[in-house]
Amino acid sequence: MNKIFSVFNKMNAVVALAVTFAIVATGTLILTTAQAAKDEKPAAASVRPSKPAPADIEAGKQVYFRKCVWCHGPEGAGDGPGADRLWPRPRNFNQGTFKIRHTGSGELPTKEDLVLTVTHGLPGSAMPSWEGVLTAQQINQVVDFVTTDLVKDRSFQDAENEEFNLIDFGKQIPSSEESIKRGREVYMNKGKCVECHGEEGRGDGNKTQKDEWGFPIFPADLQKCWNFRGNREDPYNPKNIFREVSTGLNGTPMPSFVDVLTPDQRWDVANFVISLCPKQKIDPLTAHPAMQVVVRSRNIEGDIPNNPEDPIWQKVDPQYIGLAGQIIHKPRNFVRLVDEVWVKSIFNGKEIGWYLEWNDRIKSVATKEAVAQAASFQETPPEGQPIALREYPMFNDAVAIEFPSKWKELTPPQKPRFVFGDAKHAIDLWKWESDGTVQEYTGHGAMGGDLKLEARPTQNVKAIFSEYKNGVWRVILTRALTTDDKENAVQFEIGQYIPTVFFVWDGNNGDHGLKSSISTWYYTIMEPPTPTKAYIYPFVAVILVFGLEGWILRKVNAAKQQRK
Amino acid sequence: MWTEGYMPVQMLIHLTVMMAVYVGANYFLKKIGKGIPAFPQAILIWLGTYSYFKFAVAPPLPSTLLYTFMGLVTIVIFLFISSTEQGWTDFKRPILGTLMAVNPMYKGVRTFSFVVLPLLIGYGTYDFNVPKFDEPIDLRTVHPAPPASTTVRGQNFTLQTAQNPYRVEDNGEYMEPGHEKKYFKSNVFEPNAPKYLQYVKEGGSIFFQNCHFCHGDNLNGRGMFAFAFVPIPANFVDPGTLAQLQETFVFWRIAKGGPGLPTESAPWASAMPPWEEHLTTDEIWKVSMFEYWHTEFFPRTWE
Repeated sequence: MNKIFSVFNKMNAVVALAVTFAIVATGTLILTTAQAAKDEKPAAASVRPSKPAPADIEAGKQVYFRKCVWCHGPEGAGDGPGADRLWPRPRNFNQGTFKIRHTGSGELPTKEDLVLTVTHGLPGSAMPSWEGVLTAQQINQVVDFVTTDLVKDRSFQDAENEEFNLIDFGKQIPSSEESIKRGREVYMNKGKCVECHGEEGRGDGNKTQKDEWGFPIFPADLQKCWNFRGNREDPYNPKNIFREVSTGLNGTPMPSFVDVLTPDQRWDVANFVISLCPKQKIDPLTAHPAMQVVVRSRNIEGDIPNNPEDPIWQKVDPQYIGLAGQIIHKPRNFVRLVDEVWVKSIFNGKEIGWYLEWNDRIKSVATKEAVAQAASFQETPPEGQPIALREYPMFNDAVAIEFPSKWKELTPPQKPRFVFGDAKHAIDLWKWESDGTVQEYTGHGAMGGDLKLEARPTQNVKAIFSEYKNGVWRVILTRALTTDDKENAVQFEIGQYIPTVFFVWDGNNGDHGLKSSISTWYYTIMEPPTPTKAYIYPFVAVILVFGLEGWILRKVNAAKQQRK
Repeated sequence: MWTEGYMPVQMLIHLTVMMAVYVGANYFLKKIGKGIPAFPQAILIWLGTYSYFKFAVAPPLPSTLLYTFMGLVTIVIFLFISSTEQGWTDFKRPILGTLMAVNPMYKGVRTFSFVVLPLLIGYGTYDFNVPKFDEPIDLRTVHPAPPASTTVRGQNFTLQTAQNPYRVEDNGEYMEPGHEKKYFKSNVFEPNAPKYLQYVKEGGSIFFQNCHFCHGDNLNGRGMFAFAFVPIPANFVDPGTLAQLQETFVFWRIAKGGPGLPTESAPWASAMPPWEEHLTTDEIWKVSMFEYWHTEFFPRTWE
């Protein structure tokens, strides 16, 4: 041993290392202990909150009237100035109806529940995370204010309403193939989850539900765990699902399953639900899948398969594209029901193929009434009418991909405007609609809500597959890499970054024309083959270095010989 | 650890603190007679700085900058080592020891590195030559120079002289930026609130019907649609935005939106609507005033 350490002359480096290790180990230990303490469940099966101190309520009111009032309203009735353009609407606190709780169905939440909600926000809704914006004390105070002044007629005195039953987590069943299988069984049969959440969990089972206040409400799309309100920025944690299945969501049709399912069955269902959600890297800032701006198109041999189940398509991982409502030009889409599209791209020597998949609870094909109304479509509901109650004529579901018509002539990073191009720089847009039509357009912008999108007579884009099933649209579009119309149609080249925008229209949401879901600019790159030099150069480099080493060894040995 | 817009300053502070700690620790170790020899020290410093630049700094440094920094670090280390004859000899000793394989330990190190080094270089060469699909870097100027004047809804505004007509004291006089501080903590929903606060409330209502979708309920650029956009929406809470701008600049940016930007600011990618399509000039002034009130910043004045 001593011989080994003699490298460092003394034992100093070892000492230094040991000290470092000791520090890291102690730190880790402290952190784990703290975490364990945090995770510990409350010992009591029920809690009885006490009335908050008047000073805290007053301080909370200050915070409320600065940060919360804009959506939740001065009386906490969920009717602030911003409420009518939101769906889901802001919470009405007056009846003390809260969705995300650890307490029994119909009961008020614990203070910790609301503190967590304010701290982490409600993903998938307009309620943001207030962590880092408000201090922990301010969050506590604002919760004190809301639960005393805005939850009406609450005395904190009567035991009947003030004694909360905390849910029992039992013993967590870790996720496994068997547990997921059992969970699916419960989902399909005993729990009847399938009736609302649908065959494959896309929330397409029951489309006509209403919440306690008469506003339409859709069952959660279980494939988008990052949109679950109670997920507390931890989308893949089955504990949140267990909690919601146990407590139910007050004010919504989601019931508590405490009396229907055993804790083990609820853990199995939770594991099953989490297994439905694609595993993605989550961006902590947005709590959504991290955005990758480059869409890689893979080179394939042979024809572009007209079936998504084909091994060629299956080999390509779908890429997540987040979509916002088009709220830039009128008619604006404040409530976009399609918030993501998943894409794959492949190409061969002749053609490029795009696979597009997006969840949509309702298949819609335009009615005559909708077509007639399209010209006079008004974006803003009349004053005082919530967007949540707006009923639209049925338009087509649709999807589109947009490229600059002449991307080669633009100096990077210059592009046309992402919303249908601009007067100087045209875009090429391929649109597929649910009535089976495929149309190529040239776009020159949408300033002032004047959408300049001209349909072209030439048709090179083909829809070789389209299907609606269990709440999901799947479409495959193909086009030749190059076409004759160099003026309007995009021309593809291998190894180049070609700007790309994605659009989706949800027909039953009144989406058509400018009212759409829209992405930002992405880049498509058709992967060039790996050049031969990538294999030859490393080989040469290795040989050269070995040669050099041999030379050094010879020199060293010669020197040693001499010394002897 | 990282505040948006303060990366360079924070980086310098971190480096200074780390250097001070290192020098202190080194001094202490030497004092108790356990000083670390030159070679491991050089390696330690090099790896330490590399890990810091590579993994700790946010937003990540572009690779060219990283290479430049590491080049500088290498040069400085060599300069320091070779500044004394003793230091240079100390530094060389383990290297020569390895090459000469003076003991079995060194021999092991030599065999190991003579096998691993060529393989690493081979992999590096492959990695360098294989095609990469990284995101192209799109640089843009966030706050471009504003025009001298702008016409919004048929009305002409000279940016140097225009004033927010709603920035008023209760007696109707124009309120100089800074004087609104007295209202920063007030409740704008109070009935009979001063005029200024009533306008702030109107502005806030407009904000929460139009702007929060992107700029967020807390005006920090984290609205519910923000996750879909590149570049992400402006963060008004950051002292680098509103506090650095004149109110007329904000007025112009709101009125003309993304399409009104000059080329260096990437108008093609901005999701900011030209708000003159949706709001009157009065409404735009009120929204701007709300944003200052809510973030508790004062607009910059024309010096």
